[in-house]
Amino acid sequence: MKKVFPIVFLLMLVLSLVACNGKPTPTAATTPEMSESAGETLPVMGNVIQYDPNQPVNNGEDITVEMWYWTGAANMFQDLADQYMAIHPNVTITLVENPWEDYWTKLPLTLQGEDGPAIFNIHNSKHDILISYLAPYDVAVEDLEAEFVGASGHVIDGKIYYTDYGLMTATMYYNTDMWAAAGLTDADIPTTWDEFREVAKQLTIRDENGDLVQAGFSYNGGIQGDVLGMNYQYGQNLFTADNEVTLNNDAMKAVIQRLKDLYEVDGVGDYNFGNNSGDNFGQGSVAMYLGWGFMTNVLKQNFPDTSFACFEIPIPTEVIPYAFHRYNGESTFGVNKNAPADQQTVAQDIIRFFLANDSIQKEFCLANAVFPMKVTLQNDADLLSIPSVAVLADHIDRYIWPGAMPSTVEDNMKIALEDIFYNNVDITTALTAAETAINDDLANSDFVSQEPMYKYASEAISN
Amino acid sequence: MSNRNKAKSSLRSRSEVALRNIVVISMIVFFVVFFVIPIIVAFVGSFYQWNPLKVQFNFLGLENWKKIFSSDLFWRSMKNTVLFALVASFFRVVLGLVLSRALYSKLLKHKSLYRTFYYLPTITPMVAVAFVWKFIFDPRIGLLDRILNSNINWLFDGRYALIAILMLTIWKDFGYAVVILLGGMYSLPKECYEAAETDGASSWQSFISLTMPLLRPTILFIVITSLISYFQTYIPVMGADARRTGDKNLSGNISDL
Repeated sequence: MKKVFPIVFLLMLVLSLVACNGKPTPTAATTPEMSESAGETLPVMGNVIQYDPNQPVNNGEDITVEMWYWTGAANMFQDLADQYMAIHPNVTITLVENPWEDYWTKLPLTLQGEDGPAIFNIHNSKHDILISYLAPYDVAVEDLEAEFVGASGHVIDGKIYYTDYGLMTATMYYNTDMWAAAGLTDADIPTTWDEFREVAKQLTIRDENGDLVQAGFSYNGGIQGDVLGMNYQYGQNLFTADNEVTLNNDAMKAVIQRLKDLYEVDGVGDYNFGNNSGDNFGQGSVAMYLGWGFMTNVLKQNFPDTSFACFEIPIPTEVIPYAFHRYNGESTFGVNKNAPADQQTVAQDIIRFFLANDSIQKEFCLANAVFPMKVTLQNDADLLSIPSVAVLADHIDRYIWPGAMPSTVEDNMKIALEDIFYNNVDITTALTAAETAINDDLANSDFVSQEPMYKYASEAISN
Repeated sequence: MSNRNKAKSSLRSRSEVALRNIVVISMIVFFVVFFVIPIIVAFVGSFYQWNPLKVQFNFLGLENWKKIFSSDLFWRSMKNTVLFALVASFFRVVLGLVLSRALYSKLLKHKSLYRTFYYLPTITPMVAVAFVWKFIFDPRIGLLDRILNSNINWLFDGRYALIAILMLTIWKDFGYAVVILLGGMYSLPKECYEAAETDGASSWQSFISLTMPLLRPTILFIVITSLISYFQTYIPVMGADARRTGDKNLSGNISDL
């Protein structure tokens, strides 16, 4: 008995280690209803990129593929899987969800073997760790370029491994109740930064001691993602021809100085008035906040009592700038090149189904509050009714994609801004330090700027 | 000894030896697998550009070492970490001594209640503590600025971020020192105190000349375990979201790599 106990204990230790292999538990695949039109011819979907649902997949033989995605997208992917499986009952799509942080460790490690997911969700900020595992799309590049804005920016050696189905950028959210209380109307919506500063002052409220009660505008909690974009309003690219970042320039200094002036000169906010301007906006203590498109659904979900609308990011003058801001794309899915050939074939079929299917594309765009990159959806009334999307329609081609920027760019800009706003470091010193740190990191990366691919690239000032 | 007893004794010895071997070997295996091998692998990896997510393993020689030792951020982090560890350990011991001496006093009633209150922060999960203190440090709604009638952004201002994390850590950990030192005091020989009292020593003299020297091993234990723990501090910094990245400690900067 004395010998048995330690052996059993050891076995339990070993078993517990084996059990913790980190492979996430797949969700039970829902059994879709059989298509009511089974046996009848289904209509071919799509315009340039077409999908014929009548073509059998995997010769009609049963097959299971795994599809990975990160937390927050369950409904969309379930709908996609259900719709596809209704057309192809022999295919079972097993959906696997991972939290965002875990996803970017587990996914690339799993893709190195042969039992990784055949198809998976992509974010372009993780391009460099995923690209070596991706199989190119079985869709003609020219077809993708014809149907999806910005697809040309994703061409690598004549092939596309993923593109964007939606565009997200920063818009100015404003509290409509505070707007009305300040006596402002739609006619007061600013188009230039000078107009914006005046409106922000009108929306600022201080108490009898001069303490801020309502900030006209707040950017506390991290505005690095937006500072890295407002430079384009002055015709200044973020990257040089050698794919090095350039931060220590007049445009970037003007952007940051304006932010400082908003607080220190205009008094419309304060560095210590809350540490998360998005939350503070939702809580009703900030009148205007510069946020990206996903905040639309975040605010609706977390702060349903806050009434808000959006307007386009202001620009320096009335003249249309080189670019209003940068955008980032919500990416289509990746196909695992190490997956078995039959699974890859099914994955490619799912890709084509997704690209040709306006209905599911629209659902994804609505869920993420993004502007559709598919041209056939760009006049869709439901999508244009999203506040942060509607304001982009008139100038959608004036938003630039710099490429899948490595995280070092935002990380070091964040440090620079914290030094400037909280630690009294002068702008030039902070930007120089950030530029040096980023370029040291970029020297070890394969990053290539997509700024030259921008439609109006010739208007950029030379570096 | 009879043959039967010898046989029994021999069986017991063999089973004890077997048990000892199994336990010792499993401990050694555990230590080697989870400590020694990872340290060796990490050390070897430090000479490479190593990204397992991209299957990247390129030999760099001493480049990584040169980069880190010539990095201003690394030396600032080291300075912050050493300062944090020394100050937090000092206050942990001092507060622990003062409060344990108070609890040891015969004049104090409801000692169990005080012990419980002092030890509660120690057993509270650090993530929860950091999250709550994040609100205490908030410049708009935080309790600390209201009490001090100040307008300090504790977690964002580089002058105060380290002080904020020190406050949080000392508050959480002093109870551990109180309990350990109190136990140490109860184990001290009472004859020494009786002799000192007979000789006319005051409480303060007894504390300085008797209690402190006799508690030296216990104090040393607390100091060493505190330093080990504080050099690895990570959760309070990340949990409270102390944003002054440049002043993060070493663990925080390692996590950013």
